[in-house]
Amino acid sequence: MYRVQDEVSLLRASLEGETEAWGEIISRYKDAVFGLCIGFLRNRADAEDITHDAFIRAYVNLRRYNVDKRFSTWIFTIAANLCRNRLRYRKNHPVGEMPIHLSGGTDPARALEQEERCDRVRAALGRLPYAYRAPLVLRFYNDLAYREISEILAIPEGTVKTRIHRGKAMLKEVMENREERDQA
Amino acid sequence: MKRTDVDEILRDALREEVSGAQPYLDELEERIVVELGERRPRLRAIDWIRQLAAPTRSARFGQLVVVGATAAAFLIVGLFASQFFEQQSGLPTGGGIRLETAQEARSGLQDVLFVVPAPLAASTVVVVGDFNDWEATPLTDEDGDGIWTTTIPLSPGRYEYGYLIDGRWWGEDPRADEYIQSFGEYSSVRYVGRGGEGV
Repeated sequence: MYRVQDEVSLLRASLEGETEAWGEIISRYKDAVFGLCIGFLRNRADAEDITHDAFIRAYVNLRRYNVDKRFSTWIFTIAANLCRNRLRYRKNHPVGEMPIHLSGGTDPARALEQEERCDRVRAALGRLPYAYRAPLVLRFYNDLAYREISEILAIPEGTVKTRIHRGKAMLKEVMENREERDQA
Repeated sequence: MKRTDVDEILRDALREEVSGAQPYLDELEERIVVELGERRPRLRAIDWIRQLAAPTRSARFGQLVVVGATAAAFLIVGLFASQFFEQQSGLPTGGGIRLETAQEARSGLQDVLFVVPAPLAASTVVVVGDFNDWEATPLTDEDGDGIWTTTIPLSPGRYEYGYLIDGRWWGEDPRADEYIQSFGEYSSVRYVGRGGEGV
């Protein structure tokens, strides 16, 4: 029923307390929000918690959403702030990263190679400081413009560009170092 | 390895992680809808007033009835109280009822000033705290003197907060009533009303 409705109608219906409309909003954004969370947090259990909390908080505070802005920017801002809080908490309450096992493609050799590359980039991402990791995830996973990233992370657009540029260089360096270690 | 490779590998790696979480994500909306139940988005004071001003819906008529009944109750109690105090003190009390009601209406919120002396080069300063669900409320520095300010109306209570100056956390506000270090970094705490100055 809601599939064909536009986003604004769904948000208006949600404001009226139609939680099913909110369910449709969740189904449209859950992958993007979860991807942001796991990219920022590097821990699946925390990413699941924060994704859940972000949608609850967004619903409860829906009247604060300004319809002149993109809804994605708003929900990503909520998720990013919750991630930041969780990372602050994790400094005092650390947990190990959970290994994530994924299925490969049809060609076993190619699938293995792809999986290794993905593992390397994920491990490298986890080693980057949050200040660099967050803009990289928003840019390359969420496909956001610099201006939106700047709004979500509350940093100037120029800083976003610098951090993405430096973050990519750092990511590449960490990956190459690991490749060399593996080959040695 | 080319730079663009890193972009693509990162995108693929995160997409794979999201695919790997599909068993969790598949039922997420159902779980949240059940959890929300009959809950509705929080009504801001301004929305409530706007709703009252729009007389078309029957639900709003109900709100008007409630407001009218409350106002009538205040008026009756006030009239009795004024007559009682007039008899007790013999002093004129004209206007006293209205003043008292207005004070009561205002007593819920206090304007709390947030001030940050940021470096002159800073371009974005925001305050985040439990009063805004840790969402950014921007501060402004209109005269460019490096003192960033904003005022937020808050009801009495204890509030944890901190500032983000160009995205960097700063949790040791000299105006705070106390600091906490529960998450490895300092956060400020301000008490509004009930013994705290608030501003």
